[in-house]
Amino acid sequence: MRVMHTKLPDFIDKMKQAVKKNTPQKNITINGLENLKSAKMQSLRTGRIESAVEEIAKKQNVDKVELIVIPRVPETMHTVIVKGIDKDGNCDSAILEVINILHQTEEAYTSGCKNIEDRRPQIGRH
Amino acid sequence: MADLKYRLIPYGKANNIHVPINIVLIDTKDIAACKINDTDAMKAVAKELAEPTGISIFDMDAVTTTSDGIMIPGAIIKMAAADNGSINPDFGILPMAEIAYSEEIIKEEPHLKQWDANYKGRKLFRGPNPKDKIIPVHNVVITGRASNNNSATEMMNIATMEEILLPILGQMQIMTGGDIVTGYTGEVISVGIGMTVKELYGRVFPTRQFGAGDTAHGSGIYAKTLKKSIPCIVADKSILAKYTLAALKAGMRAGVEIGCSPAVIAVSKAFGAEVDIDKITPKALEELQSIGFTKDFIKQKTEILSEEEIIKRADEIIPGVESLSKIKSTQIVHIKTLKVN
Repeated sequence: MRVMHTKLPDFIDKMKQAVKKNTPQKNITINGLENLKSAKMQSLRTGRIESAVEEIAKKQNVDKVELIVIPRVPETMHTVIVKGIDKDGNCDSAILEVINILHQTEEAYTSGCKNIEDRRPQIGRH
Repeated sequence: MADLKYRLIPYGKANNIHVPINIVLIDTKDIAACKINDTDAMKAVAKELAEPTGISIFDMDAVTTTSDGIMIPGAIIKMAAADNGSINPDFGILPMAEIAYSEEIIKEEPHLKQWDANYKGRKLFRGPNPKDKIIPVHNVVITGRASNNNSATEMMNIATMEEILLPILGQMQIMTGGDIVTGYTGEVISVGIGMTVKELYGRVFPTRQFGAGDTAHGSGIYAKTLKKSIPCIVADKSILAKYTLAALKAGMRAGVEIGCSPAVIAVSKAFGAEVDIDKITPKALEELQSIGFTKDFIKQKTEILSEEEIIKRADEIIPGVESLSKIKSTQIVHIKTLKVN
C-alpha cells in the first residue's frame, strides 16, 4: 500500500528528474503547488505525468518545461477556520466557515498553443 | 450559410463604466432562423470573438423572476463562457431548467401566483437543474479567463478579477432596445441582491434556501460592502417600478411572497402597500438598517402615489446605483451578424 500515493516532495523531485533524465541541460518550473505544505499525490497519475514531462522535455523545439497544477473543476469548496489564539499559543475559540473559489480553466494557460493532447480521463475516472 | 444575429457589448468602455469581458446576448429565434442548435451558435460566437466572452440565449416568449421574486417577461434559457475562440466542454455551457407549472409549486413558491395573474401559459426558466452541472455550488460556466455566473447575471474575467453585474431586467432592456442605466452598484444594490425568495432551481440557489423576508447574505453591516463597487447595467428605474407594481397588484407583499429589497420596499411604500416589519427577519433588518431602511423609515407613512406617478418619478423613489447614467441600450449595444452553417 505504500506505493499508492506519492509524497509531495517526492512528486516534485520526480518531475525534475524526468526532465534531467534525457535532457540534463533543460529545466522545469512547477506552479500551483506552492500553497501545499504536505500532501499525498495520486501515484497512478504521478507516473503518467513523469512520462509526459520526459516526453515534452525531449522535444527538439522545447527549451524548458513548465508544469502548472490547477483545479480540474474550476470551483473549489474550502473550509475556513477562524481561530483565536490565547497568550500561551493555544486555540481559545474557533469559527468554521466555507468559501467557494472560482478558478480559470486550462484555456487560460494554453493560449496560442496548437499542439495540445488531452490525456485526462473523464471527470470522476482515474 | 446563414447570418446569425447577436447583440454585443464589447470589452472596454461603455458609457461611464468598464466592461470586463465581451457580453453577447442571442435570441433563440435568431438561432432557429439559421437552422443550427444553441451549442453551435455559441461556439460560432466564441470563435468569432476569440477573447473572454459571456454568452446568453434568450427566449423572449418565456418568463423569469428577478432575485427578489418579481416575475418579468423573457428568460435566459442557456448560458456559456468562451475564451481563446472555444468553449470548455465540461464547464463552458449550461442550460436553464424549465419549471413545470403545478399547484404544488405555487404553494411552495407563493411569488409564482404572478404566473397565473400576469403570465399564464408562458414557459418559466430561472437557474439550472443541479444534475446538469459538474461545478458543485455556483450556477456558473467558466472557460479560460471568462466566467458567466449566477445564471448569466454576473460576468467576470477571473484573471483580471474584474466583474460586471447584469440584473436580468437590464438584459431584457438590451434585448428589446429599451432604456438602461449604467453605473456602479453601491451599497443599496449590495444589500438588495441578498433579499431573495425561495426557489427550486433558482438563478442563484438550486434549492429553496432563503425565503422572502430573509437575507442570503447574513453578514450584518458587511452586506452593504460585498458588491458595492461593481460596474452594472440595469433597467431604467421606471421599468423596475412598472414590474414591481405589477407584482404588488397581483397581491405580492414585500417580505411575504416577494423579497424585502430596498427597491420593493420603496415602491410598496409609494403605492400604499403595507410592509409588515414583523415579516422581515432580524438579520435582514440589520442589513436594511445599515443603508437607512430603518424600522421607523419602513413604517413611516409617505405620500401615496398613483401607478403612473410612481413610474414617472421612479428615479427619486427607487434608491440604488451610483454614478448613475441613463441611456438608450442601443448606445452601447452593437447588433452583429456572423456566417454560420
